[in-house]
Amino acid sequence: MEILIQQLFNGLTIGSVYALVALGLTLVYGILHIPNFAHGALYMMGGYITLTMMTRFGLHYWLAIFVSIIVVGLLGVLMERFVFHPLREAPPIHDKIAAIGILLFLEAFAQFYWGAEYQSMPTPYGQIVEVFGLTLTMQRILIVVAAVVVMFILYLFLKKTFTGATIIAMSQNREGANLVGINTNKVAMLTFMISGGLAAIASSLSAPINLVFPGMGHLVILKAFVIIILGGMGSIPGAIVGGYIVGFSESLGATYISNDYKDIIAFLFLVLILTVKPTGLFSKGGSH
Amino acid sequence: MLKLTDVSVKYGSFTAVHDINIEVNAGEIVVLLGSNGAGKSTTFRTISGLNRPAAGELVFEGNKLNRRPADQIVQMGIGQCPEGRKLFPAMSVEENLRMGAFVHRRKRDQIKHSLEHVYELFPILKEKRHDAAGSLSGGQQQMVAIGRALMSKPKLMLLDEPSVGLAPLVVEQMFETIQKINKEGTTILLAEQNANAALKIADKGYVFENGTIVLEGTSAELFANDEVRKAYIGA
Repeated sequence: MEILIQQLFNGLTIGSVYALVALGLTLVYGILHIPNFAHGALYMMGGYITLTMMTRFGLHYWLAIFVSIIVVGLLGVLMERFVFHPLREAPPIHDKIAAIGILLFLEAFAQFYWGAEYQSMPTPYGQIVEVFGLTLTMQRILIVVAAVVVMFILYLFLKKTFTGATIIAMSQNREGANLVGINTNKVAMLTFMISGGLAAIASSLSAPINLVFPGMGHLVILKAFVIIILGGMGSIPGAIVGGYIVGFSESLGATYISNDYKDIIAFLFLVLILTVKPTGLFSKGGSH
Repeated sequence: MLKLTDVSVKYGSFTAVHDINIEVNAGEIVVLLGSNGAGKSTTFRTISGLNRPAAGELVFEGNKLNRRPADQIVQMGIGQCPEGRKLFPAMSVEENLRMGAFVHRRKRDQIKHSLEHVYELFPILKEKRHDAAGSLSGGQQQMVAIGRALMSKPKLMLLDEPSVGLAPLVVEQMFETIQKINKEGTTILLAEQNANAALKIADKGYVFENGTIVLEGTSAELFANDEVRKAYIGA
């Protein structure tokens, strides 16, 4: 029983990270209409920038994360401006190729600048606490709490502000958005900024319990793809619920089936759900 | 108010609209008649800044529109209810309408009034205000599209085939509503295939064929014209 609860909490932790990454991916999907393959590289860059800010410039963990959000967010904006915006009239395959190009470039850059070795990120929240008889690290609690807070703020922004609603409107009908007076260029940049920021938050939160290395985004982004397919492309609740479904099933699978196979579980899910409900769990009729 | 002089629009090497001249005066209802693919929607898209003119000049209240992006044109006071409606299907009716007031987003009171006004024009939308726009019938979606365009309080409203796919009774109501909107002070440029209904409410009209204007005149003139009667009224 104790193991179960412990594993459920672990699921909550990884699920939170997945949900944040998947949210950024799903938001940008609304603009590009293709999954942004370079999103995993933004996640990786977020980890490195936070680490560098802490180790080289001696910034506090939170301040380092803040810098990372801004830098990776701007990196997202640059991607939109210099790569995806010029390609907006091109066939979708060009976007995909360009995204893979950005991914390869950023990974090579990380290897060149930071080196290929695995680095660990220090955290001021390494202490172990006992809650209801469970042994938890502060960092894991922090991941869950911070992710929920970020998701709640994002929800308020998208639902309650005009600026946030423009992102939703544009994902549902770009020309419709243009015709009500929305500057679609600005919205695209804003969306990439938020998406990059979410990736930076996710990697900065999870890096202390994992490691920082050039390929750290690979598995995370593959799973985020599974999550947004599972939750319905472009669906925001789908990205959150999907993130936690994959998180829970992975941590439970690691305990009760086999730790070696935990990474396969997400993909098994993908096969299953696409067989039963090919449009994803949360896809709405009418939108595309 | 709006003047198009020798405007041509191209899609690649294909000329969709060729050397057209249109003038709309404040307070009028002007109708563009023509079959599918005659160039009406392309003309609308060009006025709204979704397409760029290859040649010619578009002037609205003394300002050139040629190179302006679509969002600025809405701010200047041209609203469009486009072909295919282009609603936000997963958003509720009310959210769609509110997005229509995007250019007035800081004026909360005005948005509230505009919303009430739209619900007065289309009471059914008030009933369905929490439903997803994509779940509505064609006629109701058309109402949302017109309502959304009205929310920006345009001086000039472009209506692209508002009657398409609607039941005859609904078409009649739709045209009455358009006339009402016009009487309240909005100038209207209407694209239609339903010449009979459109000419009844319009002041003047232009007839499109293969991307050019082949005929223009007051409603009475067009209504009496044999060619028009044969092609669009079926009499």
